[in-house]
Amino acid sequence: MAKGRELKGRIKSVENTRKITRTMEMVATSKMKRAQDRVVAARPYARALADVIASLYNPELAERFPLLRQPAKESRAAVILLTSNRGLAGAFNANLIKEARTLLARLEGAGTQVEMHVVGKKGVGYFKYINRALAQSRTDITDRPTAADAASLVDALMARFIAGELDAVYVVGSRFNSVLSTPPTADRVLPVQPPAAKGAQKDYLLYPSAEAILTELLPSYVRNAVYRALVETVAAEQAARRTAMKNATDNAGEMLNLLRRTYNRARQAQITQEIAEIVGGASALQG
Amino acid sequence: MAALKVSVISPEATLFEGEAPSVTAPAFDGEVGILPLHAPMVTVLGAGVLSIGGGATRFQVEGGFLQVVDDVVRVVTEKASKL
Repeated sequence: MAKGRELKGRIKSVENTRKITRTMEMVATSKMKRAQDRVVAARPYARALADVIASLYNPELAERFPLLRQPAKESRAAVILLTSNRGLAGAFNANLIKEARTLLARLEGAGTQVEMHVVGKKGVGYFKYINRALAQSRTDITDRPTAADAASLVDALMARFIAGELDAVYVVGSRFNSVLSTPPTADRVLPVQPPAAKGAQKDYLLYPSAEAILTELLPSYVRNAVYRALVETVAAEQAARRTAMKNATDNAGEMLNLLRRTYNRARQAQITQEIAEIVGGASALQG
Repeated sequence: MAALKVSVISPEATLFEGEAPSVTAPAFDGEVGILPLHAPMVTVLGAGVLSIGGGATRFQVEGGFLQVVDDVVRVVTEKASKL
């Protein structure tokens, strides 16, 4: 029963694989829930910042703030690409890299010098593979990015933007719209696009002054934009992994059904053959 | 007397949300006390202790800002830890 044993081995191996993918699916589901909670928890801060900046902002002030400077031409730009440290998440990282490449092509096509800052082993690995030098490669940011991680990523770039060494900073990451919709997006975080004011403006008492408050808040706003991108990308990664692992588990189940059916058929065929042989042998003896 | 709706917000989470009769915050140039019916205000914070409801809840904060409008007080800061 050589074929049967071979089939049994394959069934066992597919069963084991299914166990692994099912576990990964469950792990990703719970990680995704926690990441999703962090995305939601980060919203009040972003809203409060945007609110206050919108109510203080006016175009006259803008000219005095280096972070609001709108360069006529982008001659040097930085792109921060966020990817994951781990694979097995379907096309998640491939999509992000593709988005980054599209952006790179567009910027370089317009004659901009672009430097790449890449977060996550998958992105770093890709750029090593195509032999492109990276200005910064970070693989130390975990599944639970903190505001400090965002600050360490973008603070140096902000300083260089203020000094006039950079004209724009982009962040490529996944937006977490919902579990099923996590499109890769490229956002420009610098120069700051002031949020639009909505509703009636309150007449605030401002201490010490609108200018001083904006000086304090604009860097926070930029850091928060990067933090939000980090958190959403992690949530999107887990969502993508969950979907990929669910598909893998389903496929393994289908494959198992097919293998088991083939195995049983082979077993039955063998039994039938044996009986036929015995019957044949017995009738030969009876002669 | 009306109470203040107070929230303390950091980038990662909302650390406190509730009602309190008063708030004392470390503004950039010294402490500022807020009672209900305060005029709308935005002020930059320095380092120090934020005390909500006369010390019932206290946070160590550094930087950020405080916004008061219509008896809603929002303390928005990157560095805050509960005391």
